[in-house]
Order: sequence, then structure tokens, then C-alpha cells
Amino acid sequence: MTSTVDTARSAGTPPPAARPGVRRRARRSLSDLATPYLMLGPAVLVMLALLCWPAVQVLFISFRKLDLGELVRGEVKWVGFDNYKNVLTDPDFWVISLRTAVFTVVLVASTLLIGLGIAVLMRHLAGWVRVVLQVCLVLAWATPIVATTTIFQWMFDQNYGILNKTLVKLGFDSYQGYSWFSTGTSTLTVIGILIVWQAVPFIAFTLYAGLIGTPKDLYEAAAIDGANGWSAFRAVSWPSVRPLLMLTTFLSVLWDFRAFTQVWAIRQGGPDGKSTTLPVLLYLKGIAGSHFGVSAAVAVLMLVILVAVTWRYVRLLVRSPETEL
Amino acid sequence: MRVWSKALIGGVAVALTVAGCAGSGSSSSSSGTTTAPPAGPRTITVWLMNGSAPTTLTDELNKEFQDSHKDVTVKYEIQQWNGIQDKLTTALASNNPPDVIEIGNTQAPKFASDGVLEDVTANVNDFNGANWLASLKASGQWDGKQYAVPFYAANREILYRKDLFEQAGITAPPTSRQEWLDAIGKLKAKFGSDPNFQALYLPGQNWYTLLSFIYDEGGDIAKQDGKKFTGSLETPEVKAALDFYKQLVDVSGTKAPKDADEQTPEQAGIFGQGKVAMMVALPWEVATAAKSDPTIKDKTSGFPIPSKTAGQTAPVFQGGSDLAIPGNSKNKDLAREYLKLITSDKYQAQFAKAGMIPGTSKDVSALQADPVNAAMAKASPNGKSTPATPGWATIEAGQNPIKDMLTAYLTGAKTFEQATKDADDALNKAFSS
Repeated sequence: MTSTVDTARSAGTPPPAARPGVRRRARRSLSDLATPYLMLGPAVLVMLALLCWPAVQVLFISFRKLDLGELVRGEVKWVGFDNYKNVLTDPDFWVISLRTAVFTVVLVASTLLIGLGIAVLMRHLAGWVRVVLQVCLVLAWATPIVATTTIFQWMFDQNYGILNKTLVKLGFDSYQGYSWFSTGTSTLTVIGILIVWQAVPFIAFTLYAGLIGTPKDLYEAAAIDGANGWSAFRAVSWPSVRPLLMLTTFLSVLWDFRAFTQVWAIRQGGPDGKSTTLPVLLYLKGIAGSHFGVSAAVAVLMLVILVAVTWRYVRLLVRSPETEL
Repeated sequence: MRVWSKALIGGVAVALTVAGCAGSGSSSSSSGTTTAPPAGPRTITVWLMNGSAPTTLTDELNKEFQDSHKDVTVKYEIQQWNGIQDKLTTALASNNPPDVIEIGNTQAPKFASDGVLEDVTANVNDFNGANWLASLKASGQWDGKQYAVPFYAANREILYRKDLFEQAGITAPPTSRQEWLDAIGKLKAKFGSDPNFQALYLPGQNWYTLLSFIYDEGGDIAKQDGKKFTGSLETPEVKAALDFYKQLVDVSGTKAPKDADEQTPEQAGIFGQGKVAMMVALPWEVATAAKSDPTIKDKTSGFPIPSKTAGQTAPVFQGGSDLAIPGNSKNKDLAREYLKLITSDKYQAQFAKAGMIPGTSKDVSALQADPVNAAMAKASPNGKSTPATPGWATIEAGQNPIKDMLTAYLTGAKTFEQATKDADDALNKAFSS
């Protein structure tokens, strides 16, 4: 308890001076009022230090010129909006932003559709078939990102890849030595499949949890009322997965928008920078080019885009009582 | 109640802001201080990279340094290449950085231009300056000053299978482009019936090989004007180089991917499977190939990349390392003496023995013992480095327009004009960032 009080004090909140006359009562009620906040104190501080502080730092850095030299010498050079001007006047930034947005939307939509499909399938599958499917999903999910990425690289390899070999065997001779990474769209498609492949299991299990949570008698009642498969899904399953679907959409947007490892590992954003997404741009500016200020500006802009895109979802999640999770 | 919570949050925010300002301000005081060498025992921290200097060399070197410097301890630490850029950045920014560091020659310009390294222009002669390897010397220069000292380098050559050459009736390794093409023809005539045979393994993005051809034609990838670099790929020299590269790919019928470099898949592994007669590679890739088939080591030899001028070797791209003293180092005097010792002939000779081209010595005789190393040494005087500009760092990190240019030209996706213009634009953008 003492430590709690200390932490709160050190954070700059001196206890207000109690008024004379009402001293006894005021002090008691004040301490009663303060206790829950003091108890929250350490957690709030830890959260501020670990979550808010880095974000605030990034915001500050985005207004500074911070290259390797400034970093090493510890100089603080404020440059106002120069970094933002630098980023926003680069036509590539807009192309990359648009590409990232489209990429994210397509990925989220396919992940959710496939995930929902598998979840419904799991509910209908019997015993051991379902177990086999679930084990496969868990395995796909548990494989490390880089391992899966390497496997995909080999599968889509121009000469040694199993995909081209299979296509040629099936009679599609034009796929002999076909390069899947010759254009940005094609490269992003491969990366997209890879990301969706890794994201589907989690979504499927989450939605499946929602589906099995639905009481069986509801389906029986629907069946008595003469509902076919589709209308039973709409009337019974849908309401029970809707809040989960909302949550998973929100999470998927966050994850897919920030996807870096797969994009970088497949072709480093190539060819000709045509599969570069915002996280890759961030890496190129910051880590590769040592322009940490510009890179921070990109990060802030990414955050702005992300908030703009997910604003509705955040509000719905916070407000709607049915999404209490 | 509300006031309380607001006050609490406000207080925390203010505290954090103040702490932040203090945090970023405090480190500035450490810069630019010149301290007199303190009395008493001292420690000099040396960071060398994994796989660079052999342990026998460093043990002897550190012992000699400690023996000649009373009360000085050498803290020798081996670093891993993986993630070294971040580690160096963090270390250089700290108050107590290492005193001697090894940096890749393509990274050096970035560190030099940002002013985080000690200017050693005045010490060049102490460090065996007359014998420096030209490519590494250039990589450590910025704006007319020397910030990094050559350490060691390596360049590519053509590794070939002696047994296959003999069976195909090739008596001597090629010494001109024409002989090289003829050798490919003979190998194909002899072994071509095997669908898995490749006379030459040359992936579409082995840009180091292309660099060699470009230098050989008299061109370069960028022009330097003081601190400013401009891409120079839209030239007849580059056209000739690209055409020869394409000719090699077409004539040899290499099965290597056109859209990948020599690392994906690792070419030494494919060479090790025994169906490849030649590859453009670094000497130690023989050892990598021997992991698949130990007998390959005795069957493999090397010859320098032939020039278009018969009898000469083509200029080569040299990769390697430089040594530097961080600007924040507290033991610059000791660091200079350490550099003096490591750049001396005695220790440089050991690099040659270990199969590398010494950076500050012209004596490569120790490389002659092994034919693979001898081939590298033969081409080494004519070595070049990538443009010494900080902008190269972004290219080095992954998005290399020259690789994209190669793939686009080889696959016919772009004309020569389009491919080189796109690559020049990308280079210029990287140089100006």
C-alpha cells in the first residue's frame, strides 16, 4: 500500500490541502474516494510507460531531424512539419498507401470469409473428421511465420517450385519457368495467400467458439418452423457470431495493415518497389536509411490512417453492450 | 472525483514529458569532449565480426598489444553480422562505445557521412597507407576525408569442375570471353544429354557479376561529383555488359531462376549436387558446396572472370570490411595504436593465409598456394566498391534496382532503355534520400 501512495505522489499529484473545520470528515471521504484510484495507480503507470510513452516519443521524433549523426551525438533538432512534408510530397507515398489499403481490405475480407466458412464447416462435421481439420488448422497456425514464408518461397520458385512443376504436369505448359514474382500484383497475391493462410485458423476457431455457444434448441426450433440451412444460419448462427465477427474484423485490419515480415521476406517490397507496403516503407526510411524522423512521420501517418479506417469499429466495440468481451 | 482523476492523468503526463525532455537532452553533453588519457589501468574494446579475423591472428595481436602497452587490457568481442547495423547504431550512440569497430565496406559511407566516426586522414601513413586496397580506401572516404581504414576484402571468380573440363576436352581455363563461351559450348556438347546438367549456373540477379562486366566495358553504376552521385546505367557500356550477361544465360541454358540472386536458392548447394560445371562465386563457396559432396573440393578450381580484352582479367566488385574508430570513443589514442598494429604487414600477411585479400598490404603471395584463392588474388588489384554514398544503405538493405533491371531485361519485360531508366531513377532517389 505504501508503495502505491509513493508512486502516485511521484507522478505529481500532491494531496490537496484539507479545509479547516471539516478536516476530519473531508479527510476520510477523500481517502475513501482516492483509494480505488491509488490502487489503479501502478497499473496505469505501467501502461502509460509501456504503451503511451513510446507512442508519444514517436510523435516527438516525427517533428525532429533524427539521422544517425543526430542520434549518436544526442542532438535535438526540431524541424516542424518538414518530415511530414517530405513524406506527403513524395508521390510514391500515396501509391504505397493506396496499395496498402487495398491489400488490407482484400486480405481481411478473404480471411473472414474463409474463416467463417471453416467455422460453419467445423460445426457440421462429425467427430474425427473435425478433429483432423482442427489439428491441421492448429499446425498451420503454430508454424513460425518465417518457416511458412520460406516454404511458400520454395513452392512458388520459378524452376524448383512444386507449383510450376504441378501445373506443367497438368498440361499448362506455359507455367514452365513461370515467374510468380515478376509483377507487384502477382507478388502481393502470393504474399496475400501466405498471410491469409496463417490468419485463417485463429479467425475460424474464434468464430467456431461463437457458433458452438449457440444453444442447440434454437436450431431445433428453427427446423420445426421449416427453416432451411441458409435461413437457419441467418436467423440463428448469424446473431451469435456477429459480435465475434466484428472483433475479428477489427483485429484482422490491425494485423494485416501492419504485416511486415512476410512482405519483406518474400521480395523486400520488389520488383521495382511494386509490392512495397507502408510497413516496408517505414523500415526502408528508418532502419535502412537511418532517417528516424521521417520514419516516425510515416508511423504517425499510418496510425492516422488506421484510426480513420477502424474508427467505426472502435466506437461500436466500446459502445455496443453485446460485445462485452 | 473527476477532478482527482484528471489531476492524476495530467500529473503523469507532465512528469513523462519532463522526463522525456531530460532524457533526450542529457546525452548531448557527452559529445565533442576531448579527454586526456587517464592514468592507471585502461581497457580498449575491439569489435570484430564473426568469421573475419582468424582466432590465431587476434590472439597473437591482442597479446602483442597488451605486452607493448602496460596496464592496458584488450576487450576483444566477436559480433554477428545479423542485426549488426542496429547494434552499431545503438553502440555508437552510447556514452561508452567500443574503441575499434569493423564495418562492412558498403555500410561505411553511411557512418562516415553522418560524422559518427573519427577522422583518421592524418594517420593514413601510420596505417600502411601506401599499400591500401583502392576499393576499400574509396569506401572509407567522405568529402575528401578518410574515416575508415581498409581491413580485408574478397572478390568473385569463376569456380569450375576440373574433371568435367577435362572430360569435355578443355585443356586450359578460359582467359577471354570468347574462350569462356567456347568452354560452355564444349561442356554442353559433352554433357548436354543430361537434362539436369548446367554448364554455368548464373541466376538472373547475380548483379556482382554484372558489375564486373560493366567495369570491364569502362562503365560504372554511378558517377561521382564531389558528394553527389548520379546513376549512370543508361549508357552503351551498360548495354554491352547486359547483352553479354544475357548471352551467357542464353548460351549456357542455365536453369537458375531469372528473378532471384545467387542466395535463393544458395548456388553452392546446387553446385554441390555435381551437375554444374561453373559458377561465379566467392572462394569459400567451395567449402559450402563440399557439405553436399566432400569430393567436390578436390575436383574444383577457379579462374578469374575473363575480360573482353583477351588475356586480361575483368575488374571485379570487392566486398569486404573497413576498420574505424567511433567518434565517442574514450580511448582514441589507444585505438589508433591498435589500428597501426593490425594494419602492419605482419598481421596482414595472416589474412592472406586465411584466404582473404589484405586491405593494407599488397603482398598476396600467401594466396598462391591454393588455386582457388590464387584466381581471386589475380583479379584483386583491379577491384571496385559500390558508390561511396550514404544513399547506398537503402539499396543494400534490400530494394536493389540493379537486380530488378537485370530480371526485367533478361525476361524481356522491359526494353534496355526502359529497364535502365527505371533503375537510374531508383538509384537517384536512393542517393538523394
